[in-house]
Amino acid sequence: MGTEVRRPRAAALALAVALVLADSSVVVLALPDIYRDLDTSVAGVTWVLISFNLVMALAAVPAAHLARRVGPGRAAAVGLAIFAGAGLACGVADQLSTLILARCIQALGGAAAVAASLELLPATVGSERRATAIWASAGATGAALGPAVGGLLTELVSWQSIFLLQVPVALAAAVPILSVARDEAATGIVSAERRRTGRPHLAANVALAMVSAAIAAALFLLVLLLIEGWRLSPIEAAAVVTVMPLAALLGSRLDRHVPSARARAAAGAILVSGGLAGLGLLPKATVLLTIPPQILVGVGLALVLSALTETALHGRAPQAIHGGWTISARHAGVVIGLLALTPIFTHDIAQERKDGINAATAVILDSKVQPLLKISLAQKIEDRLEEEKGKVPTIGPAFEPLPDDPAERSEVVQLRDELQDQLNRGATHAFSPSFLLAALLGLLALIPIGLARRVEL
Amino acid sequence: MSESPRRGRILVGGSIVAALLLVGIYLAAGGASYTPEKTQDPCQPRPWSNPQGLGEIANQFTISALDGAACQLGVSREALARALASPAARERFAKRYGIGDAKLAKAIRAGLLRAISDAEEANALSPLIAGPLRATVERIPLEQAIELIQNARSALTGVEGIFGPAGRLLEEFIP
Repeated sequence: MGTEVRRPRAAALALAVALVLADSSVVVLALPDIYRDLDTSVAGVTWVLISFNLVMALAAVPAAHLARRVGPGRAAAVGLAIFAGAGLACGVADQLSTLILARCIQALGGAAAVAASLELLPATVGSERRATAIWASAGATGAALGPAVGGLLTELVSWQSIFLLQVPVALAAAVPILSVARDEAATGIVSAERRRTGRPHLAANVALAMVSAAIAAALFLLVLLLIEGWRLSPIEAAAVVTVMPLAALLGSRLDRHVPSARARAAAGAILVSGGLAGLGLLPKATVLLTIPPQILVGVGLALVLSALTETALHGRAPQAIHGGWTISARHAGVVIGLLALTPIFTHDIAQERKDGINAATAVILDSKVQPLLKISLAQKIEDRLEEEKGKVPTIGPAFEPLPDDPAERSEVVQLRDELQDQLNRGATHAFSPSFLLAALLGLLALIPIGLARRVEL
Repeated sequence: MSESPRRGRILVGGSIVAALLLVGIYLAAGGASYTPEKTQDPCQPRPWSNPQGLGEIANQFTISALDGAACQLGVSREALARALASPAARERFAKRYGIGDAKLAKAIRAGLLRAISDAEEANALSPLIAGPLRATVERIPLEQAIELIQNARSALTGVEGIFGPAGRLLEEFIP
C-alpha cells in the first residue's frame, strides 16, 4: 500500500474514532438548550448523554465481533453511514424520545466504526503498536474536545448543528475506507487475521471504567458549574473548557518520553484526581481558578486513557475485540459516573441555592441601608427567583438603576457584590462533593493500575 | 538505573507533587470554607448594637420583629422577609409553608412585641412608648403590622398615626 493511500486512510480512521468518541460528551454544553427546546425534564435531558454512552458500552464488543465477521472495511463504512444517518435524525428531532432513539442508533453505528477502525489501522500504518497509539490518542482527543466544540456550535448556530455537522464529517471519514470495503465485497476475503480471542485485560479495563467515570464527571460537572452556577453563556463555557483538550495535547506529547504504560497510567490518574480535587476546593468563583485544575485533568486524561488502552490491547488478539472491551469499559464508566453523581449534585445544588439565597437576603437585612430599600431589594430578589426557576439567579439587575447619590450608590454596589458573592459561594459549593467524589474514584483507579501486569511498550 | 523506569518515576513523582501543590494552594486560599454564610436561628437573641439615631433604631426594630415572627412560624428570617415583600410573594410563601393569614398575623404581632422588648432593653425606646405601642400592636390588623415591620422608621416618627393625638407627645421619648 502506497503512502498516498495510507496517510488519508490513517487520518480518516483517526477522525472516525475522534468523532465517535467526542460524541459521548459533545452535547454536554447543549443540554440546557435541548431542555428548553424540547420542553422536557432535567432527568430526561440527561438521557441524551447517557443513552449514547450506554449503547456504546453494550454494543462495542458485539460490534467488534461483527466487524471481524463481515470485514472491518465494510463494518467501518457501514458504521459511519449509520452514525451519519442517525446524526441527521438527531438534528431534525423535535421530541426527546426521537432524539434519544436516534442517539442509540448513532451509538450502534459509532461502536462498529470505532472497533473496525482498530482492526484496519495496523495494516494502514504498518505497526500494531503505532496503530494502538493513534487509536488511543484519537479517542482521548475526541473525548476532550467534545464539550468545547459542542458549546461553540450551540452558541453560534444551534444544538441541532452539532448533529448535522457530524453528517458530512462522518461521510468524509468513510470515503478513504470505502476502497477496503469494496475489496472485501469483491473478493469475499476478510483481511483480518483469524486468531483465537484471548481474555480481556481485566485490571486495565476496570481502571479505564473508573478513570472514565471521573473524567466524565470533570467535563459534565465543570460545564454545569460554569453555565448553571456561574451563569456563563455556552460559548464562554466552551472557551473555558478548551483548556482541557489543549492540556491533553501536551499530555500526549509526554507519552512519547515515558515508555512505561503503568507509570503513565498512574501519573494520569493522580493528575486527574488532583485536578478534580482542585475543582472541588475552588477558593473563589473565578474562571481563572478553574484553569490549573483543568490543566491537570487534561494532561492526566491524555496520559491515563492512552496508557490503559495500550495496556489493555498489548499482546492481545484480535485487536478489534480487545479495543471493543476498552470502548465498553470507558463508556460504562461514563454512564456510571453520570448516574452516580447526577443525583448527588442535583440535591446539593437545590440545597446550596436555598442557602445562598438566604445568605444573600441576610446580607441585605443586616446592611445599613434603609428598611424600605431592604424590602424593595428583597422583593426584587424574590421576583428574580420566580423568573429563573430552579437556577442560581444573577443579582445585578435587581439593583438597577443604581442610586444617584454617590455615597448611597457605593453602599448599594458593595451590597450587590456581597450578595452575588453569597450566591456564587452557594453555586460553587454545590458542586464540591461531586468533584471530590469523582477525585476519589480517579484515585481508586490506582488499585487496578497497580495490579495491572507491568507492560513496557 | 535504566532511563525508562527513571522517567516513569519522575513522571509519577511530578504528578503527585503537582496534585498536592494545587490542592494545598486551594485549601490555603480558603477552598474548604468557600460556602454561603450560615444564617442565624431566628429564635436566638440578636443583641442590638448600640443604635444611634432613628434610622438605626428602625433598622434593628425591623430585624428583631422579623426574627420574632420567623421564630414563631418556624421559618428563616430571610424567607419571611422575602415573603413580606409583595402580596404575590406572600401568597407563594403561604402555599409553600401552609401558613394562613391568621397564623401570619399572630406571628408578626409576636415579632413586633419582641422588637419592642429588644428596643426597650437596648434603651432605644422609652417604656412610656413601649407600653402603649405593645397594646396597639396586639390589636392592629395584618396589613398594618406588615407595614410597621417594613417601615418602622415612619411608624416610629409618626407615632401620632398609631396613638392618635397623644402620639406627638410620645415622639419626644424616642431618642
